[in-house]
Amino acid sequence: MAVSVAFKSDLIGAIPSLRAFAVSLSQNADKADDLVQETLVKAWDKHQSFQPGTNLKAWLFTILRNEFYSQMRKRGREVQDSDGIMTARLAVHPSQHGQLDLKDFRVALEQLPEDQREAIILIGASGFSYDEAAEICGCAIGTIKSRVSRARTRLQEILQISGEADFGPDAIAAQVMGSSAA
Amino acid sequence: MQNATHSSSANADPLGANTEIARKLKQYYDDLVSDDVPDRFADLLSQLEKAEPARKKD
Repeated sequence: MAVSVAFKSDLIGAIPSLRAFAVSLSQNADKADDLVQETLVKAWDKHQSFQPGTNLKAWLFTILRNEFYSQMRKRGREVQDSDGIMTARLAVHPSQHGQLDLKDFRVALEQLPEDQREAIILIGASGFSYDEAAEICGCAIGTIKSRVSRARTRLQEILQISGEADFGPDAIAAQVMGSSAA
Repeated sequence: MQNATHSSSANADPLGANTEIARKLKQYYDDLVSDDVPDRFADLLSQLEKAEPARKKD
C-alpha cells in the first residue's frame, strides 16, 4: 500500500518536534538532523505498521529514540561525560537576581544522563503524558516518574536552585501538564 | 521498579510543573521547535515518494 498523502503531511508536520527531540537527545545539531532523516526513512518504510488514529508523534519519537540508542551502541558510547569532570568545571553560576539564563540551563541539561534528560524532555517539554513517555522509552511509568524527579533534582543542584517553591500562574502548569503535544 | 503508589506526593508531579526548571525546559524546547526546518527533509520525502511506485512491483 502506498504511503497516503495524509501520512506524508503528518510526517512533515512532525519534523520540528522530531528535530527538537533529536537535539535534546544527541546535543548536536548535525547528528540530530541525521537522526531525523533516519527516522523519516524508517517511518516511511514501516508506515503500514502505524495504526491510524493512534499517536503518530509518539510512534515517530519511539523510532527516533531507538535509532539514537542503536547508533550510540554502534559507536561504543564515545565521549560521554558520566558525572564528574565536566560537572566540576561547569559550575554554572546562578544568576544573581533569580532569572535563570537559558544558556546556563542548556549547559545544565547536557550534564544529565540520557535517560533522565529524555524523560524530563518528553514530560516537561514535548507534551507527552507519563503513559506515553513510558511507551516511547519502553519502560514502566514509575521509572519515568523517578527519572523526571531525579532530573529535576539534578538540575536544581547544578543550577543551584534550592528548595524552589512552585509559584506562578496556573496557565503554565496547565500548559506543561496538559497533553498539548508541541 | 519504583512503586507508583509509594510516595504519592513526589509521584503526583515529579517535575514540579510550575517551577523555574519547568519554565526553562519549555523555553529551551520551544526554541528548538521553532527553528527553521532545512530543505533536506522536504527533498527526502519527495524522493521517498518518487521511489514508491517502483516498490509496488514486489
